[in-house]
Amino acid sequence: MRRWDLFCRVVDNYGDIGICWRLARQLADHDGEGEIHVRLWVDDLESFAKLCPAIAPRSPVQAVGSVEVCHWSTNFPSVDPADVVIEAFACELPLTYIAAMARRPTPPVWINLEYLSAEDWVEDCHLLPSPHPTSPLKKYFFFPGFTSRTGGLLRERDLMSTRVAFDAAAEAVFWQSIGIPPRGNEDLRVSLFCYENSAVPEFLQSCVEGPTPIRVLTAPGAATEQVSRWLGRGLVTGELVRVGALAVHAIPFLSQDDYDWLLWSCDVNFVRGEDSFVRAQWAQRPFVWQIYPQDKDAHFVKLGAFLSRFLHGVSEPTVISDCWQAWNGRGRISFAWPNYVANLAEIRRYGEVWACQLDHAEDLANNLIRFVREQV
Amino acid sequence: MSVKLAGELQSGNVIIVENNPVVVLKAQYNKSGRNSAVVKVRMKNLMTERISEAIYKADEKLEGVMLERKDCTYSYYAAPMQVFVDSEFNPYEIHEETLADITKYLIPDMTDVCEVTFYEGRPISVLLPKTIIREVEYTEPVVRGDTSGKITKTAVLKHTKHELQVSGFVEIGDKIEIDTETGDFKKRIA
Repeated sequence: MRRWDLFCRVVDNYGDIGICWRLARQLADHDGEGEIHVRLWVDDLESFAKLCPAIAPRSPVQAVGSVEVCHWSTNFPSVDPADVVIEAFACELPLTYIAAMARRPTPPVWINLEYLSAEDWVEDCHLLPSPHPTSPLKKYFFFPGFTSRTGGLLRERDLMSTRVAFDAAAEAVFWQSIGIPPRGNEDLRVSLFCYENSAVPEFLQSCVEGPTPIRVLTAPGAATEQVSRWLGRGLVTGELVRVGALAVHAIPFLSQDDYDWLLWSCDVNFVRGEDSFVRAQWAQRPFVWQIYPQDKDAHFVKLGAFLSRFLHGVSEPTVISDCWQAWNGRGRISFAWPNYVANLAEIRRYGEVWACQLDHAEDLANNLIRFVREQV
Repeated sequence: MSVKLAGELQSGNVIIVENNPVVVLKAQYNKSGRNSAVVKVRMKNLMTERISEAIYKADEKLEGVMLERKDCTYSYYAAPMQVFVDSEFNPYEIHEETLADITKYLIPDMTDVCEVTFYEGRPISVLLPKTIIREVEYTEPVVRGDTSGKITKTAVLKHTKHELQVSGFVEIGDKIEIDTETGDFKKRIA
């Protein structure tokens, strides 16, 4: 049995732990040769518990499904390092743990899991070593991505079949489970998950004045807070507020599985960062991405790189790109959004084609397992 | 030894990697996620001459090596070595592969003062002046009416046959100024 340690720091929000938790489960549940025991070290179990209610925040060591979850405390315990060590997003391992890695007769395979980007340079950097000045330990950089020369994307092995099996009846059950009435034909359902975004008020106003009834389901945190500011009063979880053609509904914090079902059930999904961005692509529903904002507008280069890949071959790419650019602060969302809504059927068909293309590539967890096998 | 951030690495820097001195041949900086960055480094091990590639976080602290530097001029080529001499005519040989980025500008009798860097007495890299002047051996005929320099065309340098983009008014036999850091044409001298 091969032992893997996966280290995760919850820097802000839930993106880091969301990705690490998916990866941990996919590694532990992989159906390839050889069993993998995964130990997931997390510095903030309170945040983790929101994504995974089975987590006991005060328990330093616990088994959750097939993954051993350990609290990464300031005083890191003396432990035997695993055969494979994954440092998520350069989170910097405890020095005592690195020293223990160096003492092993055979150093572990040490991998830094990087951020997802569609830029071309990622292919040239994927799997490059990062040798230490003086230690025999060598770290490899593993880049997720959209091409076969990158590490791929996280995808459960049964994701696409589960997605196909999610029918109208399953959708109705899901809506009921989060306190939303079953879908009629009267409204467009939109999930809203975003960072602080100056386009939110203009978007909401556009929905109010639009010809189509729209129900916006706001995620807890920045989305609900911004909608509350726009409304001029606090929106509490479960509350529904109607203004013109817009109905705003504050939904509770959802587990990863529930969030997938939300994405599968909505007509349009506003997503952010990395994890929800990838899940929106697997959902095969129209989506609008708010990329993590970076200094000197570096994020627009990354946004453009993804749009170039995503919209390759699309007959009217500006319908999508104008909306995405406006949502990220370049352009007017009140101009782009009505055009986007008018083309939803075509955008949805294209999203299905895109997901199908991505599905042909190997997934991230299996690419990691293959790389590790090649090192030993 | 000195601390060197990976994000500050440049061609010619020498750092310690796995207890060996390596000279940086090329450092490519890329923005990663959440305001972090990575640096892809092409480097040569000064003990084994082996060339390899590596990647570092831009804020990674590496061990830099203090180096001796000396002004020299280019002398001649004796395959595969390029030879430079100092003011006392001491010759210093450097493998052409190490000088990949500047070989295209090395010509016989050039008078440009170059900075040669030494590690433990061995020359390991050469820095050209910020700008140099070279002669155009061939380019297409002058673009009529263009005095703005906005129209560009390809020119071939004398001796090295290196090609670069120049303004449309440049002619065969012209001397041109080149930025050695960017490789760009700057202006016509004569």
